Amino acid sequence: MASAFLTHQQKVLRLYKKSLRHLESWCVFRDKYRFYACLLRARFDENKNEKDMVKATLMLKAGEEEFWTNQHPQPYIFPDSPGGTSYERYECYKVPDWVLDYWHPSEKTMYPDYFSKREQWKKLRMQSWDREVAQLEAETLPGGPRTEALPPARKEGDLPPLWWQDVTRPRERPT
Amino acid sequence: MAARVLQQCVRSFARPSLRLCTRNVAVRATATPAVFIHRPLSFAAESPRTRLFGQSRISVGVFCRQYGDLPPLTLETIKERVMYVLKLYDKINPEKLQTSSHFMKDLGLDSLDQVEIIMAMEDEFGFEIPDAEAEKLMTPEEIVQYIADKKDVYE
Repeated sequence: MASAFLTHQQKVLRLYKKSLRHLESWCVFRDKYRFYACLLRARFDENKNEKDMVKATLMLKAGEEEFWTNQHPQPYIFPDSPGGTSYERYECYKVPDWVLDYWHPSEKTMYPDYFSKREQWKKLRMQSWDREVAQLEAETLPGGPRTEALPPARKEGDLPPLWWQDVTRPRERPT
Repeated sequence: MAARVLQQCVRSFARPSLRLCTRNVAVRATATPAVFIHRPLSFAAESPRTRLFGQSRISVGVFCRQYGDLPPLTLETIKERVMYVLKLYDKINPEKLQTSSHFMKDLGLDSLDQVEIIMAMEDEFGFEIPDAEAEKLMTPEEIVQYIADKKDVYE
């Protein structure tokens, strides 16, 4: 997504998804949920070819208000999503990558492919770090960043900012 | 005699068959309350031995913890599950479905259908796919790559 603003289509799709999830929380039994999900889909389908944007935004607003009044008090949230039971549960076990530099050489020989290239990757990171910081400083708003989303690389031959953290991130479930 | 019976009882109680002993004792106790005082130990001593010879027992020599978890994911299993879920969807023709078939261009689906497909994938694999990344997944191949990226499969 280029900008922080959502298009009308994106807003409608997000409303559809969250209303289906809350409907799933209300209708526990699968056949009943399927029936009401089809009815909801029909309601979305009959208005989907609306060309008048004013009317479409008014319908979207009415839909959001209807969702707010009919939402489930305790909707089903997946364990790994924010608000779920297992969210950030394994954060304390995730090890940063600089620990790899403290391994004993006998341990490093167990993974020769990785460690032979690691020094080159670190050199690349040293070289591109200044450019990444410059890009981030140029692109951040004066009041500070609004979201956690990072911008992509703008110039040719540049790496995206803070790519090292993404490339060397720990596993989702560190054992 | 009572000492021998007591010894056998202690040995049978020490084995991990306490459930059977106590259940049996309780059953016998409710059945014959008058005899309970005289012969509870003999019943407990005989029955576990006669029962357990027929059953198979898990003998754990070394103590090891046994956790419950799903089998590890591989790229092939992810692909199979994604294609299976897609074939179950009634708006998709199973013969025309391939890993590289685009939902909107090749299969003629709607953006609402794509949302439903992503929700089915979330239900299948048990984790949520955020909206910002879900709207970009337009082929089964991309879905498989995204799931493999999130679940650290063959990284």
